[in-house]
Amino acid sequence: MPLRNTDTRWGAVAQAFHWGIAILILVQGSIGLTMVELGMTPTKVKVFALHKSIGLTILALALLRLAWRLGQRVPSDPPMPRWQRVAARASHFLLYVLILALPLSGWLFNSAANFPLEWFGVVHVPSLTHGLDPVLKAWALRTHALLFWILIGVVAMHAAAALWHHFRQRDDVLLRMLPGDRSPVRREGTFS
Amino acid sequence: MKWMATIVSVLVFALPAAASAREWKVDPAHSTLAFTGTYQDEKFEGRFERFDAKVGYDPADPAHAKFDVTVDIASVDTANTERDQALPGKDFFDIARFPRAHFVTTRFRQVANGAVLADGTLSLRGVAKPVTLSVKFARVGSGAILDVDTTLKRLDFGVGGGDWADISMIGNDVAVHGHLVLLP
Repeated sequence: MPLRNTDTRWGAVAQAFHWGIAILILVQGSIGLTMVELGMTPTKVKVFALHKSIGLTILALALLRLAWRLGQRVPSDPPMPRWQRVAARASHFLLYVLILALPLSGWLFNSAANFPLEWFGVVHVPSLTHGLDPVLKAWALRTHALLFWILIGVVAMHAAAALWHHFRQRDDVLLRMLPGDRSPVRREGTFS
Repeated sequence: MKWMATIVSVLVFALPAAASAREWKVDPAHSTLAFTGTYQDEKFEGRFERFDAKVGYDPADPAHAKFDVTVDIASVDTANTERDQALPGKDFFDIARFPRAHFVTTRFRQVANGAVLADGTLSLRGVAKPVTLSVKFARVGSGAILDVDTTLKRLDFGVGGGDWADISMIGNDVAVHGHLVLLP
């Protein structure tokens, strides 16, 4: 499997970004939903620290992924109605926005709440505010939660569309984001 | 006999001055009692908004100085809402049982380099321990500025015991800095 994208499939780097970030989002969302229920103990502090570290990791990966994507060709779409093409492009664009905006809103909340920020206890990450800012803190927290639920909705649509392409349309939209040297499922000439 | 009256009056007025140092009035609006702790390897600043300090100090005669400070622990402010909600609780300052901290000096010493140290006793969270302050006193016009510093170990006083005793999460050393503006 080539590192770079080709006209028929996503390269190894794009796939690693895609599935790596997908797994991190699942882990991160699960931690985020459970950690807010914890009582005020050192365990809570450690779980929050983990959530922050994973969030910063996602932010860094999202930036690298975006840079990689912008320097690459993109596999061409199978033929589909215009509304589907527009919906796919819009949801992909939205997913990029969300994997950047969600960590940023968390970072902003953490800063406005005047909490420390360390990436896995190794790298100190600076605050985005000058200490405590209760108004910004409340806004950032609402935004963080809202963006999360939007992300869940868009990811569900994205996954449903991929499965629909694979099982109903029987095209290679899902396969070309999966590793392995599968020959294209679609017949040459039919779709391109 | 006039000279005798002069001597008597000098003695009468001098005696109380020798027995106790000059009393100052603390300007609460410009005085601060601050501390610096570490949390998750990062420094954080806090302060006690309400405290009452009685300061008797004469730089020419530090041996007779006296500090007596009472701190309203509930007035703690570390610019972090969650931390400020946790600090008064049972795990930390436990203000329901120990609403006030008290520091009183027992002795002042001048050390070799001319610096002044104040030995005293700090009662905090039901624990009384000896604490030594470094003292810097500077006359400003008719008033003065008094800066005192010390470093406490929070676990000596049981602040953040039990599950919170992990000093890799909350550092044990807490630097305390008092900045008092003294009015004549």
